[in-house]
Amino acid sequence: MAGPLGKYAFIAAKLRTRLSKILDADFLERLIRAHSLVEAIQLLRDTDFSQVDVIYEKTGDLKMGELELFKQEVELFEEVIRYVSGDVADLCQALLMRYEIDNLKNILRLWFDRVVRKRGIEEASSYIYREKIIHDIHVEQLLNAEDIENLPEILHDTPYGLLVLENSEQIKLKNSLFSLEIALDKYYYKQLLQRVSLLSAGDAGIANRLIGVEIDMLNINWIVRYKTLYNLSLEDTFSYIIPFGHSLNQEMLGAAFKSEDVTDIISDFVKKKYANLSPLLKVQGAEVPSRLVLIERLLEEIMKYEVQRVLMGNPFTIGIILAYFVLKKWEIKKVMTILNAKLYGIDAERIKDSL
Amino acid sequence: MMFTTKMKYVTAVVLDKDVEAVTRELLSDGVLHFVNITEVSSGLKNKVSSVTPHISLTRIAELKKRIESFLNMIGILPEKEKALDISQLSTVDLEQSEKEIDKLSGAVQGIRNRQKSVQQEILKLEDIKRQIELFGDIRSSLKARSHFSFLNVQTGIIPETRLEDFNTEFKALPSVVLNFHTEHGQSSVLLITMKRDDGRVNTLLAKYGWVDAEIDQEMDGMKENVVSDLDSKLKNYSKEQQDLHDESFKLIKEKSNILQSLWANLRMNELYYKIQSYFSKTSRTVIFSGWLPAGKVAALEKGIEKATQGICYMEWSNPEKLEKEEKIKVKVPVQLKNPKFLAPFQMLVKNYAIPEYGTIDPTPFVAVAYLIMFGLMFGDAGHGLVLFCIGLLGMIFFKNISRNTYNLLKLISYCGVSAIGAGVLFGSYFGMEWLPPLWFNYHAVVLGHVPDNNMIHDIYGILLITLYFGIGVIFVGLILNWVNLVRQKKWLRLFLDKTGLLGGWVYGGGIYIGYYFMTQNGKLPDDTILLLLAFIPMLLFLLKPVLSFFIKKSETHHSQFTVFTLIDFFMEWIVGLLEVFGGYLANTLSFMRVAGLGIAHASLMVAFFQIAEMTKSPIFSLVVLIFGNILVIALEGLSAGIQSLRLNYYEFFSKYFSGTGEAYTPVSLSTSQD
Repeated sequence: MAGPLGKYAFIAAKLRTRLSKILDADFLERLIRAHSLVEAIQLLRDTDFSQVDVIYEKTGDLKMGELELFKQEVELFEEVIRYVSGDVADLCQALLMRYEIDNLKNILRLWFDRVVRKRGIEEASSYIYREKIIHDIHVEQLLNAEDIENLPEILHDTPYGLLVLENSEQIKLKNSLFSLEIALDKYYYKQLLQRVSLLSAGDAGIANRLIGVEIDMLNINWIVRYKTLYNLSLEDTFSYIIPFGHSLNQEMLGAAFKSEDVTDIISDFVKKKYANLSPLLKVQGAEVPSRLVLIERLLEEIMKYEVQRVLMGNPFTIGIILAYFVLKKWEIKKVMTILNAKLYGIDAERIKDSL
Repeated sequence: MMFTTKMKYVTAVVLDKDVEAVTRELLSDGVLHFVNITEVSSGLKNKVSSVTPHISLTRIAELKKRIESFLNMIGILPEKEKALDISQLSTVDLEQSEKEIDKLSGAVQGIRNRQKSVQQEILKLEDIKRQIELFGDIRSSLKARSHFSFLNVQTGIIPETRLEDFNTEFKALPSVVLNFHTEHGQSSVLLITMKRDDGRVNTLLAKYGWVDAEIDQEMDGMKENVVSDLDSKLKNYSKEQQDLHDESFKLIKEKSNILQSLWANLRMNELYYKIQSYFSKTSRTVIFSGWLPAGKVAALEKGIEKATQGICYMEWSNPEKLEKEEKIKVKVPVQLKNPKFLAPFQMLVKNYAIPEYGTIDPTPFVAVAYLIMFGLMFGDAGHGLVLFCIGLLGMIFFKNISRNTYNLLKLISYCGVSAIGAGVLFGSYFGMEWLPPLWFNYHAVVLGHVPDNNMIHDIYGILLITLYFGIGVIFVGLILNWVNLVRQKKWLRLFLDKTGLLGGWVYGGGIYIGYYFMTQNGKLPDDTILLLLAFIPMLLFLLKPVLSFFIKKSETHHSQFTVFTLIDFFMEWIVGLLEVFGGYLANTLSFMRVAGLGIAHASLMVAFFQIAEMTKSPIFSLVVLIFGNILVIALEGLSAGIQSLRLNYYEFFSKYFSGTGEAYTPVSLSTSQD
């Protein structure tokens, strides 16, 4: 079996080169300050987002550009998988599942809109990614399914069919896809962490840390939303939480739920583990949306810190692959947020606040 | 060329009323490397104030970038178009200019919005096409309509006379209309539309007297007709989109001259105000200062006098005088001025660092050393010819390339010439010996089949050549360093530094002792020679830390002599000796890579020839040889280029090149953007 050097030397060099191309804060500032969507997209011409410019120039449709970016991300993963093997390739395959599940969620939401909410979805359905990611998902058949009972059958060749079947009653009862989406997320993390457990001790430690922080971010975000926006009970909330977080155990999450101000719990946690991020805690408003934004920012900074830690450490570990995809995902999210804001004529200051 | 260009410092005072004319003159001349006068004459800090531009430089820069982005859309790089003309410089109305650009931006956005509408129609038709292709033949889909969740598929009859209008009306909707039978004045039509358009569709059907009907006609091939109809519509929409794209292109193209003029004026204004940002003013005068090459003094003086009609004061200083007067160490900007044909090597030097003012310009030495190294590593006339052609053709055919890329292509062509020369010396032409070598047969040495009359008999001979070459390069580096130190009057370093005279003494001594050792079967020279060449210079190295200490003590009166000072002397001496011996040995042996790469080059060609001989087919043999030559040119060319650079940067430059200089960057019309 190849040692770390043999496993990661090539892919680390490749991804480090790509990391050097990630758009910096100055560029994003220029993007935000662009006077129009046309000019903003022009700025992307000589970057990794050049395809957005090409497609927008050809079609005038920003969503097509977004779809193209999604495709590029998937292809990038597939490319990385070609350069690695064994347990590392298996983990990358599991990471790729994130894209498949996100795409499936979009398909199911459209189906739900059409069948349950009786809304037209023809326009939105054009922007679904239709190519195979991991499993063969029959997009047209799903979109066209007349009843929820048809869905597990259409997905029977994939692991998602069973999840749909298990959650069908809940969907009908609550008239919402919520439980299914949580089940899909839990399934994803379960698969991911299973593959992580097969890595070497060093790699597993790094992967568990990064993925654990991601899970913490999701959980704390959901706790605040479940409590304040959906008025869920503690029991219901815990049923939706993803286990295997890195720092926030069930006790802390329970305390966060019970607390009047969730940010207090987060503050203690940040002060203990990430003292250098404490200055961010001083900036907060009283309203829930403001607190949510603060929490999301804090968690993003924590993730950034962990990613930087990985990048400054031993280059021949799984960390480089995980760090790359986290940073790339953020970059894409920021760029598309800015471009969509430009499309809707949102001013620069509001765009910055939303990033 | 041998040394950095001599620079002069000017301090000028002009009247406030002449500031515009003077600024234009300075921009037009483009020779002054500005320095804020208060940086040099600190006494003036409280007596002068800075000049504030009337216009926001940030807005100018932003507007420029906006124009660049529009021009880039049509493939125009404004900075590469015609040179800026000072006579066209005029005050820029930022508000008006921004409005013009906003108008253009709005127009282009409008076109993009129309493109998006067309794209929506394309997506709808593609959706219909997907649905049709997915669900098999049309007849069965008529019977199982529920499968077409988005589609409405129906057949019916309309009067024949109304068919054309019917088709025209449905062109406005994403639809497929197929007429496949006409009888008794009635046309049988298959109609596929989107369910979301049901309202409009039903209105149209009612308008044209549509009657639902089962069609018993043969429907084989109907799916292909439907798909074909869809493809035709898609093609029309794609053309419409392309036309819109061309419209946006044309819109910008029509404005391109205005945009370019505006950009040029903005750029000149930017440079104009940049110059004025270096001005200092009193109540009625303006003061500025800077550096320029000594050869440009007369022209600048004349220009300023003309702009101020003689009412100006200019004071000229050289760096030494300035340092004496102001009692500070001045940083003189450095201009490397070499003939155009040395531009690639000047680029290599600048990539490393800028030499200190007054020192030797390494460019001509790098040119010679680099090309010799490359030739020795890549000695094949045929391969050299290929490189020469690549470089030359690249320079001819690629027009819109950066200066650095152009210089790189030039460098490649020079390397090609060097390789041709080396190839002729070694008798190597695409790995074959077409002509006898002028020096020695390289391939024969590598293969071990050396003719008796060959000057070199084995690989060690080649290694020795490169070692001698390396010794030569290092000695040249040392000599250049001594020249620099003499010019800078750094006597202690000249005599006692590891790259000074003492270092050269040790190095020369070491070479002689090593040569003696190798040629006299492991014997060392006699004691007198060892004393003169090794022990005395080693002892003299102790002088440096001692003298440095006492010189510093006399200047600062701070240093105390203690027991630890003695230990410091000793440690510095030992470390210095280790650095000298280890460093020089490593640097010299490093040049053996030149032999290594040259041998690798020859060996690779030998290997490919052997592979070619092993194949039975002459055509395949030729393919192997061609592929082999391409691979060797690419791999060895890259290796030789990089290794030559490395040897220059590390082994050569480390002997004499301080690299602490600041580049001479005058503000001129040809100043490149940041």
